Amino acid sequence: MNFWETMTGSDLTREWKAFEARAEALPADYRAAWEEIKGHLFPYADFTGRNLMPILDGALGLLEETAADGQSIHEVLGDDIEGFCAALAGGEGARSYRDRWREQLNRNVARKLGRLGG
Amino acid sequence: MDDLTEMLKGTLEGCVLEIIGSEETYGYAITRRLHELGFADVVEGTVYTILLRLEKNGLVQVTKRPSGLGPPRKFYALNDAGREELATFWAKWEYITSRIDKLKEGGR
Repeated sequence: MNFWETMTGSDLTREWKAFEARAEALPADYRAAWEEIKGHLFPYADFTGRNLMPILDGALGLLEETAADGQSIHEVLGDDIEGFCAALAGGEGARSYRDRWREQLNRNVARKLGRLGG
Repeated sequence: MDDLTEMLKGTLEGCVLEIIGSEETYGYAITRRLHELGFADVVEGTVYTILLRLEKNGLVQVTKRPSGLGPPRKFYALNDAGREELATFWAKWEYITSRIDKLKEGGR
């Protein structure tokens, strides 16, 4: 990744297009699951969303592999796509903006409490 | 048996380690093995996230092999760290089950 790509995120756009092209080739119910996965992973994105790229690549790979096996999407992901995404993001060590807010909140509360305690 | 998910959570990783330990295998085969064992609620997505974790923790060796149809498959085998982790899992399992059995029998 060169400086231009870092600044503009042009490599991300390219990668994103490649993902969508791969997703297009999936069966319809898999495509629907892909949309849902993207939606559930989004909260785990960092500022640019770069941290999600390898996770999305892996998830798409799983969908491709299992679709080729002829498994139903339900056999692959069950009912809990949200839980699956949380495990995915956690497994890759992605931190969400919610984590950062929570930390910030905890820090502020601790500081104020510390002041009260004198 | 239904509704095992919560109880299985902590042990599933050990189960997957054990399955990989007996032979090099891939995600779908691991899921089917778990189904045969009676864990019908386990889906491939769950196994996939476990495999990711094992890979990240450096417990497995991953080899990509072309498959007849679709993209290449990832095959997993245990490395030395993985075998050690598996031994630890069984030791912990032994401990927990012996304690819980004792509790059930009302002994102390």
